[in-house]
Amino acid sequence: MNPQLIMDGLIAGAMIGLGAIGITLTYSILRFANFAHGEMISWGAYLALATSGLLGSLSGALLKPIGPFSFGWSLPLAVLAAVALTAGLALLVDALLFGPLRKRRSAVIIMVMASFGASLALRSLLEFIFTSKPVYFSKALQIALPLGGGLRATPDQLLSLAVAAILVVAIHILLTRTAIGRSMRAVSENQQLAGVAGIDARKVIRTVWMLGAGLACIAGVMAGLLVQIRPYMGFDLLLPLFAAAILGGIGSVPGAMLAGLIVGLAEALGVQLIGAEWRAAVAFMILVFVLLLRPQGLFGRAE
Amino acid sequence: MTGPQPSALSTRALVAGYEPDLPIVRGVDFSIRSGELVIVLGPNGAGKSTFVKAIAGLVPIHSGATMLGGFDITAVPTHEKIRHGLAFVPQTENIFATMSIHDNLLLAANVLPKEKRSRRVADLYAMFPDLAARPSLRAGQLSGGQRQMLAVARALIVEPSVLILDEPSAGLSPKIVQEVFAQLKAINDTGVTIILVEQNVKAALAIADRAAILVEGQLRHEGPAATLAEDPIVAELYLGARPAGKAATP
Ligand SMILES: Nc1ncnc2c1ncn2[C@@H]1O[C@H](COP(=O)(O)OP(=O)(O)OP(=O)(O)O)[C@@H](O)[C@H]1O
Ligand SMILES: [Mg+2]
Repeated sequence: MNPQLIMDGLIAGAMIGLGAIGITLTYSILRFANFAHGEMISWGAYLALATSGLLGSLSGALLKPIGPFSFGWSLPLAVLAAVALTAGLALLVDALLFGPLRKRRSAVIIMVMASFGASLALRSLLEFIFTSKPVYFSKALQIALPLGGGLRATPDQLLSLAVAAILVVAIHILLTRTAIGRSMRAVSENQQLAGVAGIDARKVIRTVWMLGAGLACIAGVMAGLLVQIRPYMGFDLLLPLFAAAILGGIGSVPGAMLAGLIVGLAEALGVQLIGAEWRAAVAFMILVFVLLLRPQGLFGRAE
Repeated sequence: MTGPQPSALSTRALVAGYEPDLPIVRGVDFSIRSGELVIVLGPNGAGKSTFVKAIAGLVPIHSGATMLGGFDITAVPTHEKIRHGLAFVPQTENIFATMSIHDNLLLAANVLPKEKRSRRVADLYAMFPDLAARPSLRAGQLSGGQRQMLAVARALIVEPSVLILDEPSAGLSPKIVQEVFAQLKAINDTGVTIILVEQNVKAALAIADRAAILVEGQLRHEGPAATLAEDPIVAELYLGARPAGKAATP
C-alpha cells in the first residue's frame, strides 16, 4: 500500500471537513439540508480566482510566488475578499429565497427543493460567466517535499492542512466560548426559548450563512490550489460533505472536521484498492452505514 | 416601586391564536398592578399558555394590545421584550438542556450591558446555591425542581419588572413545589410583579394576591386569592375540585 494515499486522503479530507462545517451549521440552525452549499465552494474558488487575477493585473509584483508556495500575495489578499464576497452571496440567496420561505413557515421539503434550485441556478451562472473549462490559480509546478516515512507533500498542501486545522480550532472556540456561539447553540436547540431569552434569531441565521459560506470559499480555494477549478467542483463534493456532516454528528464542528478526514481517507483508500470510479460509492456507503447504525453520528446526541 | 400601584402589565381585548382564523384567546382584558402576584387558573386547554405566550410574543396576536408599564409592547419583537423588562418562563423546554448551567446564565446575561453581566450571574448563583454548586453541569441532567430554578434564574438575570411563569410546578413533588413557590414569593417580595399560570391551585392561591380564571379563552372570574379559595362554586366549576366532603383539590 502506498503511504502517499494517507497524505492525499488527509488533504481531501480537510477540504471536505471545511465544507461539512457549513452544512452541519446550517442544518442545526435552519433545520434543512442545504444542497446549494456545494455552490458556495465553487463560487468561492471562482471569486478568489477573479479577484486574484484583478490584483495581479494591477501589480505584477503580487504574482511573484511567496517563498516555497505556488502563488503570490495576490492569492491570500484575494481570498480575504472572496470570503467576504461568498458570505455576501449566501446572504443574498437567503434574502431572496430562504428568508421569504421561512417567513411563510414553509415545510422542510420545500426548503430542500429550493436549495436544489439555487444550486442549479448558481452553477449555471458560473458556467455562463467562466465556461466549464477547468482553470488554475497558478501554473507553477511544485516539488513535493519528503516528510519521512515515504510521505511527500507540496508546500501548498501543507499550508492547506495548517489553515484547515487553525480554522476548525477557531470556529470551535467561537461556538463554545463566545456570546454569538452560545446564541447559535441556543437557537439550534430551541428557537422559541432563544427568542424569549433575548436572542435575535435573524442575527444568528445571518452569522451562520456568513460562517458557512466563508469556510466553503476557503475549501474551494484549497481545492482550486491543489486540483483545479471547475463549475462542478462543489456539486461533486456534496455527497462526501453530507457523509461527513452526518458522520460527525449534526451541529458538531470538530465532528464535521474529523469525519471529513475519515471520509477523505476512506475515499483515497477506496480509489487505491478498487479504482477511481468508486470514489463516490465510498462516501455513499459511509453515509448509509452511519444512518443505519449511528444516526446521531460520532459526536451528536441521540434525540 | 414607582407611583401608587400603577398597572405593571395589561392586555386590552387581546385576541390571539396559532392560526389566523382560529382565535384561542378571545378578547381578554387583564391587568396586574406593580408588585402584585396574580395566578391564572383554568381547566386544561382553556388557553392559559396561549394567553401568556401571546404576551411574550410566541403566539401571533390577532387584535387587541399588550401594555407593559404604560408602554405598548404588542408589536415589539419577541427577543426585544426582555429588554423592556418582561421575562417569560415557558411551560415546557424552558432551559437549554444541551448547555451547561453557566452557559444558560451567560446566554441570558448577554442582553445586559457588558459591565453588569458577571455581577448578575454571581447574584443569581447567590440566590440559587444549588446551581452554583455545579456550574459546568449540563442543564439536561438537573432534577425537575432544579430545572425550574434554572429557568427562573435565567429569566431573573435581567432584573425584569414583570415575570411570567407557565406552570412551574408541573411534574414536581409536593415538597419541591413548596420550595419553588416559596422562592417565587421571595422574588415577588423584592418587588417583581409575577403572573403565575397554575394547575396547582391550593399551593398557588396560598402565595397569590389575586387570581384570574380563564375559560375557553375568556376571563371568567377575577378576585382576591383569599376569597377565591373559599368560593365553592368557583372551585367546583373551574378548579376541578369536588364539592366539600369528597376528594380535595390535587
Ligand atoms: N402549538 C399549537 N398549535 C395549535 N394549537 C395549539 C398549540 N398549542 C395549543 N394549542 C391549542 O390551543 C388551545 C389552548 O391550549 P393552551 O395550551 O393554551 O391551554 P392551557 O390552558 O395552557 O392548557 P394546560 O392546562 O393543559 O396547559 C387548545 O385547544 C390547544 O389544542
Ligand atoms: Mg398550558
